[in-house]
Formats: sequence, C-alpha cells, structure tokens
Amino acid sequence: MNDVLTLLKPRIWPLQQRGFSNNKRGGAIKVLLIGAIGALFWGGIFAVSMRVLYYFKGIEEIGDILGYKLLSMILIISFALLIFSSILTSLSKLYLSRDLFLVHSMPVSSYKIFLSRWVDSIIDSSWMVLVFTLPVFIAYGIIYQSGAFYYANFLFAMLSLAINASAISTFVVMAAVILIPATRMKSIFIFMGILFFVIIYLAIRLLRPELLVDPEVFDTVLVYMTSLQTPSSPYLPSTWVYDSIKTSLTGSVTGGLFHNVLSWSFAGTFAFVLVVVADKIYFRGFSKTQTAAARVFKKARTSERIFNFLPGPVKSFTVKEIKTFLRDQTQWSQLFLIAALIVIYIYNFKVLPLEKSPIKTIYLQNLFSFLNTGLALFVLTAITARFAYPAVSQEREAFWLVKSSPISLKTFLWIKFFIYYLPLLILTEILIVATNILLQVTPFMMALSTITVFFLVPGIVAMGIGLGAAYPDFKAENPNQTVTSFGGLVFMIVCAGYIGLVIVIEAGPVYNLFMADIRGKTLTPVTWIWIIGSFTVTLVFSLVAIAFPMRFGERRLAKLLT
Amino acid sequence: MIQLNEITKKYSNFAAVERLNLSVEKGEVFGFIGPNGAGKTTTIKMMGGVLEPTSGTVTIAGTNMQDQPEEAKSKIGYIPDRPYLYEKLTGMEFLRFTADLYGVSANGFHKKAIRILEMFSLADWSDELIESYSHGMRQRLIMSAALLHDPEVIIVDEPMVGLDPAAIIMVKKLFRRLAQKGVTVFMSTHTLKVAEDICDRIGIIHKGRLIASGTTKDLQREANVTDADLEKVFLNLTNNVLEQNS
Repeated sequence: MNDVLTLLKPRIWPLQQRGFSNNKRGGAIKVLLIGAIGALFWGGIFAVSMRVLYYFKGIEEIGDILGYKLLSMILIISFALLIFSSILTSLSKLYLSRDLFLVHSMPVSSYKIFLSRWVDSIIDSSWMVLVFTLPVFIAYGIIYQSGAFYYANFLFAMLSLAINASAISTFVVMAAVILIPATRMKSIFIFMGILFFVIIYLAIRLLRPELLVDPEVFDTVLVYMTSLQTPSSPYLPSTWVYDSIKTSLTGSVTGGLFHNVLSWSFAGTFAFVLVVVADKIYFRGFSKTQTAAARVFKKARTSERIFNFLPGPVKSFTVKEIKTFLRDQTQWSQLFLIAALIVIYIYNFKVLPLEKSPIKTIYLQNLFSFLNTGLALFVLTAITARFAYPAVSQEREAFWLVKSSPISLKTFLWIKFFIYYLPLLILTEILIVATNILLQVTPFMMALSTITVFFLVPGIVAMGIGLGAAYPDFKAENPNQTVTSFGGLVFMIVCAGYIGLVIVIEAGPVYNLFMADIRGKTLTPVTWIWIIGSFTVTLVFSLVAIAFPMRFGERRLAKLLT
Repeated sequence: MIQLNEITKKYSNFAAVERLNLSVEKGEVFGFIGPNGAGKTTTIKMMGGVLEPTSGTVTIAGTNMQDQPEEAKSKIGYIPDRPYLYEKLTGMEFLRFTADLYGVSANGFHKKAIRILEMFSLADWSDELIESYSHGMRQRLIMSAALLHDPEVIIVDEPMVGLDPAAIIMVKKLFRRLAQKGVTVFMSTHTLKVAEDICDRIGIIHKGRLIASGTTKDLQREANVTDADLEKVFLNLTNNVLEQNS
C-alpha cells in the first residue's frame, strides 16, 4: 500500500504547492473568475432543480412519480457520463501518460502501478459529475424534507457509482488495449462516444418533442403514465444507487443502507477482480502501446500543388496545418459532431411553427432572421474556440521551428488567421443563407444578415487567433484542454460581448429600415443619420476587433517567449 | 561571421549568460563546451533568434538579429538539442515545409531533398509519419532540414545526442566539409572528444561567462597543462573558476 501512496505523491504534491504558492500575477483573478462561473453554474442547477421538484411535488397523483423518474434519469445520465469519461481518463492514465516510462522502470509491481493510476483516474473522471449533481440531490433532500441520513447516504452512494463506472470502463479498456494499441483506441472511443451522442440527439430532435406539449397530439396519457412507472434494469449500478437514494428520501434507513451496501459490495468485488486481472495483463497492454501507430491512409501527394500560388511561408504553414488537421483522428470526430449540430440547427428552422403564432408571419420571419444572425455567430464562436483558438498552442513543442524560421510572429499569426478565416466565413455564410431561405425572409434581411456576418467573422476569428496566441499552452495534449483554459474563457466572454453589442447597435436601425421597406414609407433624415451612424460604428468595431486582438496576441506571445 | 557582443540573458535575478563576447570567422568550426547549466543552450537559443537577449547584440553574417531577425534567421541552419517536430507530417513533407519557409526554389527540391535524406540514411523513411521516427531519426531529419537552404551559418546544440556511431562519424565529416566550403559551424557539446576532433577553436563557458577560448593548444597553455587531453583542460579550467569563486 505504501508503494501505491508513493506513486500517488507526484500527483498530490503539486496540488499542495499550488495551494501554498499561488502568488503569480493574475493567478488569483483566474481562480476567482473560474470559481465565480462554477459557483454561478452550480447555483443555477440548484435553483432549477428546486423549481422543477417543487412543481412536481405540487402535482397530485403523479408528482412523486415524476420526481422519482427524474431522479432515475439523472442517475442513468450520470452513470453514462462517468463511463464515457472513465474510458478516456483510464486510457490516458494507464497507457498514454508521459511519465509511465519512468514509473514502469521503477522496482514496483505492475498491479501497484495500476492501482495508483486507477485511483487517480477515478478522481479525475468523476469529480466534476459528482460536484455538479450535488445541487440536484440537495434540492431533493430539501423538497422531500429528508433527514441527515439521506445526505450522508447519497454521498456514499454516488461515490460507489463513480467507482463502479470507473471499474467497468477500466476493465473494458484493459481488455481492448490487448487487441488494439491505446493510441488508436482513444480515437475509436471518442468517435464512438460522439457518434452515440449524435444519434441520440438526432433521434430526439427528429421525433419533434415539442409536439408533446401540443394537446391535439398528446392524447395517449395512459401510455405515458405506464412508461413512467417502468423500472430500470436491476443489473445497472445506477439502479442500486437510485433505489438507495429513493428509499432514503422517504426516511427508510434500512432500505437506503441495503441498496448502498449492494452497490459498494459490487465496487469492492470488481476492484479486487480488476487488480488481479491488471496483474496479469496491464503491463502487456502497456508494452503493446509502445509500438508505433500505423497510418490509416497512406500517401496522397495531391493537395499541395493547389497552394503553389501562395508565397513560400504562407504555403508551408497552410499545407502543414491542413495535413496535420486531417491526419489527427481526434479532429475527425469533432468535425462529425459539428456537421451534425449544423444539420440540426438548420432543421430547427425548417420545423418552426411560425404560422401558429399570433404575430404576423412576415414580422416573425424577419425577426428570427435578425436574431439568427447573432445565433449563427455564437455557433461560429464555438467552432472558432474549438479550431482557431488552439491553433497557436497546437504547434506545441515544435514551436521552436516558428521561432527559428525567417518569418516574424506577426506574419505567422496572420497566416494562421487566413487559414481559419476562409473556411469559417464560408461555413457561417452557408448557415445564414440556408436558414434565411427556410425562413423565407425579405431580400433586405437576406442582404443585411449576410453582410453583417461578412464583417463580423474576421473579428471573431482574429479574437480566436489573437487570444489563443496571448494565452498559449504548448504543453496541452489536445485542443480541448487549450479551450477550457483561462484564455479560452476570456475568448468566449469577449466574443459574446462583441456579438451582443453589434446586435444591439443594429437592432433599432434594422427595425426602421425593415418597417419602411414593407410599408413603402420613406425615412426622415434624422433616422438616416442614426442608421448610417450605427452601421459606421459597427464597421469600426469590426476593424478594431480584427486589429486589436491580433496585436495583443503578437505582443503577449513575444513577451512570453523572452 | 558570428559576432556576440556583450550578450546577457537574465531570468529574474539569475543571469544565465553574462556579458558574453565572441567572434567566429567564416568557415570556422567553433565548439562551445561547459558544465551542465553553464549557459550553452541559452547562448545558442539567442544566436538562433529563438530567445531574446536581455542586453547585447547578436550579429549573423553581418545582419543584426535584433534589428532584422527574419533576414538573420534565413542565413542560419538551426539544430536544437531536442528534436520536437510536427508529428503528423512525413519526413519528406517536413523538408518541403522547411523549403517553402526558407524560400528554397521548387525546381530541384525533390532531388536535393532525396540526396540529403540519403546522406542521413532516411530515404526509406521519407514517406512515413514523423511520429513513427526514433529519437535519432528525428535528430537526423532536423539536420537534413537545416541544410536544405544552404545556410551560411549552422548553429547546433548537442549534435551527437541520439545518433548512432556511423551517423556521428558522418556528421563530423559533414561539418568539416561544410567548413571547407565556407560555412561557419557553431556547436555546443558535452562530448569533448568530438570538440577536439573537429573544432578549429573551442570556447569554455562556466556560470554564464566565457572563461577561455582558443585552439586546444591555447587552452592547454591557459590551463597550465601540456600534452593533456581536452577533458583534463576542461576540468582544470572549470575547477579553477570554482576555486576562485569559493
């Protein structure tokens, strides 16, 4: 056991040191900002849970059924999240971490290494799920007026759920790595997870759940009630936790304890089996991971020539960026996910029941079109955050090539900008035009939204590249890690503010122009001045949004490199 | 060809390199040796334009690195000690990338790239992703890329680390041949035998300061040891400094 604790120390010590010496400039602000957002999110979940449960409690006959059904769904979703997160975390911790070579060279049994890594993996994969489900369970306790036993019981029950999910995932990972190398396995699991999510999301969206609130359609209450009372599978670990929490909610200590112990006994047994299996096969899997990954697609010397018209440095980075992107299998799943979300986004506009609204359709269509400009730009912000923001950080340790090359940081950042600007502009314009066609908007709104997007896209991409350069993380193992950093948060907040500001500035003039257009009226000179002034301000903002972040990024990156 | 004038690099209060003056002539192979943490890599990084000096100037082939960094860098073939590369490119694609970056003409690129790859025994691996390369192969690929644009100056940090004996012999010969053609080679190394074998002059850096420089004979004189090898000279000189400091 001492060896396991020793192996965990490199993980614990940095946390302690960070706690004691967090005196870096800006460090406290970062912690405060991220803490405030986390607290806000936590509070939001708590408030919504209280409101929903209070509402359910007030419904006669089926109130409790709905409450328990919700509890069951939350536990199943939490369990699924824990499984998915554990698969990725255990793969990284057990097979892909850089320090594994060092650890495996030490005189420690492989099962002890496994055990220390597994404990680490349980904590990393589950803390977020546990922290953010906590307000829901507290809300249950308050609404159902449960005693202290309930709170202690659900904490232990959730802990057992995290261990069970991690044990199952780790078992699957250990067996799978024997067949397929871990590097490839990670991509496969990410891809499968996203595919699963997209299928579920598409299925739910295409079923049009909004029809459920339509009384004309909702005539099968009996079927609905019956489905609500169907119990979950007794073999699912989430069911044991559900039974334990549900029983303890009603004040039954024996029932709560029984199901909790059931869950813990599974955790204990599985942990024992896992360690025995790990002793036999973990090191074999780790050794197999060391073999070089084979290429999925071999040799294709096609694309380079089409960039021959570009200057040398621009061409070199463009070709490098495209090839690196397309060969990184983790990017494929992200592209796939984005494609699915865009299809759903456009589909939503197709099924909007505008004709049922009491407001005249033409107003509503054009109002939606205007708001859609903002929405599409938020979608762009998310995509920029995922792809353009990490662009500088993704140079990783090979950044010395940029530093030693005969191009300036400024040129390097502008090359990055243009690589992402063009595809993102095309994507956003497609999004805007497609949704406008579905909304059947006036030519004025079509022109306005496409032009607004044309001027805002470069600003958002520049913020992505500029702030990505200002807050680089060359040690990040994947782009997601970069996006979820402090700089990523700053980028999202600044972009949201920028888009919101432009929408607010344009709203008044657009309303006046639109009304004059459909009513065939002429505008007063004062209104014209207001309109021209507003659009000029928007244009100035767009130019500032391009120049300032790029300059900020360049200066900060240069300073960081000295 | 290389002129370091009073360069200093400070990290907070710690001076990694202090008021370093050095001049290396055209066609000269200059070896830079020193104990761990002496400031070798910091100096090399400043010469390669990868790190900005706190004060002082670096001039490469008549171009000031601070004033015209792009121009100065285009004259250098920089080889760092750690071979981090773009993992998802093949060896040939990496050379193409470097060629475009340094403005190497597309005409004849392929022939030249193949010739260099063959010289470094990498031709068979040219279409494999770099992620499947060993440490030594990456090091050889970086060297290949550094030679592609016919640099006037080669700055190399620990060139022999990770190379097999055959590659070490080949690199030693290559540096000498390049020097004969007028290329200046500045290399840091821990392998004193390598420095002794191929360097025209050697500089010894200790605690950020250049404590001695010259031919092996000059250094022997300075260390008061005759007929001793470079190892003995090095230990004598660095120990002297230690004793003076204590």
